[in-house]
Amino acid sequence: MSQKTSFLDLIKELAKIADRGWSEVATHLPPGRIPIGYFCPYVPEELLQAAGTVPLRLMDMPVKISHAQAHLPAYCCHLVKSSLENYLRGDLDFLQGIVFSQSCDTMKGLADIWTIEGRLPFQFNLMVPTRLNSPLARDYFRIEVENLKAALEKKLGKISDESLKEAVRLFNQIRKRLRTLYARMRLDPGRLPGKGLAQIVQAGYLMDRDQYLQLLTGLLDSWPDQSAGKTPEVPLYLSGNIVHSGDWFSLIEEAGGRIVYDDLCSGARTLRLTIKEEGDPLDALVDRYFTNYLCPTKHQGIEAHQELLLKEVQESGAKGVIFLFYKYCESYYFDYPDLKKLLEGKGFPTLLLEIEDPSQAREQMKIRLQAFVEMLS
Amino acid sequence: MATKKTAPKSYREIESVKAYRRLMQGYYLMATHPKWFGKKTAWITSGGPVEPLYAMGVLPFYPENYGAMCGAGREAVSLCETAEAQGYSRDLCSYARLDIGSSISGKGPLGVLPKPNFLVCGNNICGTVIKWYEIQARKFQVPLFFLDTPFIHKELTDHTIQYVRRQMEEYVAFLEKACRRPFSEKRFLKVSARSVEAVSLWKEILELSRSRPAPFAAFDAFIHMAPIVTLRGTGWAVRYYKKLKKELENRVKNGQGAFAREEIRLIWDNIPIWYDIRNLSQLLARHGAVLVADTYTSAWTLKPLDLANPLESLSRSYASVLLNLGLEHKVANMSELIKQYQADGFIMHSNRSCKTYSLGQYDLKKKVTELTGKPGLIIEADHTDSRSYAPSQVEKQIETFVEMARTR
Repeated sequence: MSQKTSFLDLIKELAKIADRGWSEVATHLPPGRIPIGYFCPYVPEELLQAAGTVPLRLMDMPVKISHAQAHLPAYCCHLVKSSLENYLRGDLDFLQGIVFSQSCDTMKGLADIWTIEGRLPFQFNLMVPTRLNSPLARDYFRIEVENLKAALEKKLGKISDESLKEAVRLFNQIRKRLRTLYARMRLDPGRLPGKGLAQIVQAGYLMDRDQYLQLLTGLLDSWPDQSAGKTPEVPLYLSGNIVHSGDWFSLIEEAGGRIVYDDLCSGARTLRLTIKEEGDPLDALVDRYFTNYLCPTKHQGIEAHQELLLKEVQESGAKGVIFLFYKYCESYYFDYPDLKKLLEGKGFPTLLLEIEDPSQAREQMKIRLQAFVEMLS
Repeated sequence: MATKKTAPKSYREIESVKAYRRLMQGYYLMATHPKWFGKKTAWITSGGPVEPLYAMGVLPFYPENYGAMCGAGREAVSLCETAEAQGYSRDLCSYARLDIGSSISGKGPLGVLPKPNFLVCGNNICGTVIKWYEIQARKFQVPLFFLDTPFIHKELTDHTIQYVRRQMEEYVAFLEKACRRPFSEKRFLKVSARSVEAVSLWKEILELSRSRPAPFAAFDAFIHMAPIVTLRGTGWAVRYYKKLKKELENRVKNGQGAFAREEIRLIWDNIPIWYDIRNLSQLLARHGAVLVADTYTSAWTLKPLDLANPLESLSRSYASVLLNLGLEHKVANMSELIKQYQADGFIMHSNRSCKTYSLGQYDLKKKVTELTGKPGLIIEADHTDSRSYAPSQVEKQIETFVEMARTR
């Protein structure tokens, strides 16, 4: 197999994994690992991994909403609606448990509805404090993480320090490769469409992480030496919450833009979760949430979101910023006007795209994207 | 006027309302002119610990209470539109939008609001307030104290109490720095004692409506709750509620209800639809239905403070307000209200502006009906933004529901 063929095969394989529905995910579980679901980067995946599970992230699979309507009002984001739909339909019955983390009001409500339905044998509500710039919150969260560890141990057996350190190394390696992948994409942007990058990242949430690391390593090792050539697209930064579908990247590229970096909750933002491998692993898992800004549902000072976004946009080389938000996501929409004002004041035009149902109505956004990209060209 | 004499009124006016108006006018005079009274002001969330503020001589201002005022006075929409023009989504909480709009335009029932000296935000009522207060802290460039109270799905744990308690100590230090004077334990105890008394009085007032007929409807409570929110910890609130309680006790003694007809007793869930209170009240009255209790105003019947250990009990009390509790607790609370107030059913306001109150209402309705046998109705609206409200549809839903409750 030539180097080029191998690279393309790996891309295809990762894309296939990213496109799996829950029934396919269930049939591709690694032997001996227990599938546990989670939603949010505030759940320490490393702890789930060390407990012998395969952590599977719920991130808005395309599904027709019908059962969830009997439980949720219309003004909930599609992530919550689709996840509850999957749950009520029984698509997630293969999971042996779920870990919720305290983030937004809608997620808190979802966790309670999930409990009432009681379809899964294990549910843990990890109470992530909101005031993440306080040492008091750090002490509190350390106890919460210890409680999660104890709950997992009760169900699955003792989690040794060594297994936790091993999981930390594994996830660090994954993030290191993803970081390299983002860097390669900047140097060799014609090699892979944005959709391909999104699928590579997404695949990692739906599969065995050891296997994922192997695939990522293979992909980087087989990355062709010669650049695929310069692309004419306008460099853009993509800011938002979860993007379940790589089709958004395609749409941006069809309009003549190209995402050079993002802070998506399902994307580059999770690279901030890399932790030190020395010392007490639980401490390291806890500390990272206090030293990095992750989510606008949390408070880390009144300027934290603005400062970090501006810095990343400036460093990315983007000419403009696209905000891609789930409709009804309060935390993002509250921050948006001030972020927009700040970025535009610094010479970065912005465009807001609102997603209600990610599987629909993309075409109507194409014209807005084209106009935006044209303005930046 | 002659027309007033033709039809007997079904609603019995509360005489204390005059004292209520004087009290709230006095409060808002101070809140809008703090310098006249030599006061610092703090904007505070409705579930925030106000006792330490009063103990420091700081006047609290409640943007949510102001939001209710704007909603009831039908001034909310234009203020929301001002915020929307700045990029704030219409899907955001309308209390926040109108407050932001008012800060931008300087308009609203109280005109230009004075710049607060600092902000105090507690997320025991929702996550919305975190973002809202961050925005206002950036706008006014004033310090923000944020009290984090983790949500209680099942039970209040010891480490949660300790976390909140340690933050209360930080809160005290924050106030000392902001006010440039030491915190007086003695004064705090005095304020806390008044708070305990006002909360007890408010609880007793609401409980009077367990009588048949109910002397004090939920629509009355929506109005008369203002002092327990804004003046909790002051002698004014205590004096006012003593007066109101006396009047209502007389009603009970004389068998007088808030409404002349009381055939169906109902419980209300969620924040009121402020701009349509009068209409809904009249609609229910026409059908002989009375809202005898609600989950909203009863949220200020906080767990009593232990004066021997005020900071600890303040932490426990503020960490476990109804909106910070999971669905299991809400089911128990609503079922208990139905039982205690001998209600025939309940109306739930699915409030676009309050996800923390509204998420889970469908399951809540189902569970409460299973437990109590009483029917529930969910109506859709927004607490202050009337653009998200279809009154004729809601009226029809309520009429059908009341008739259904009557026949059960």
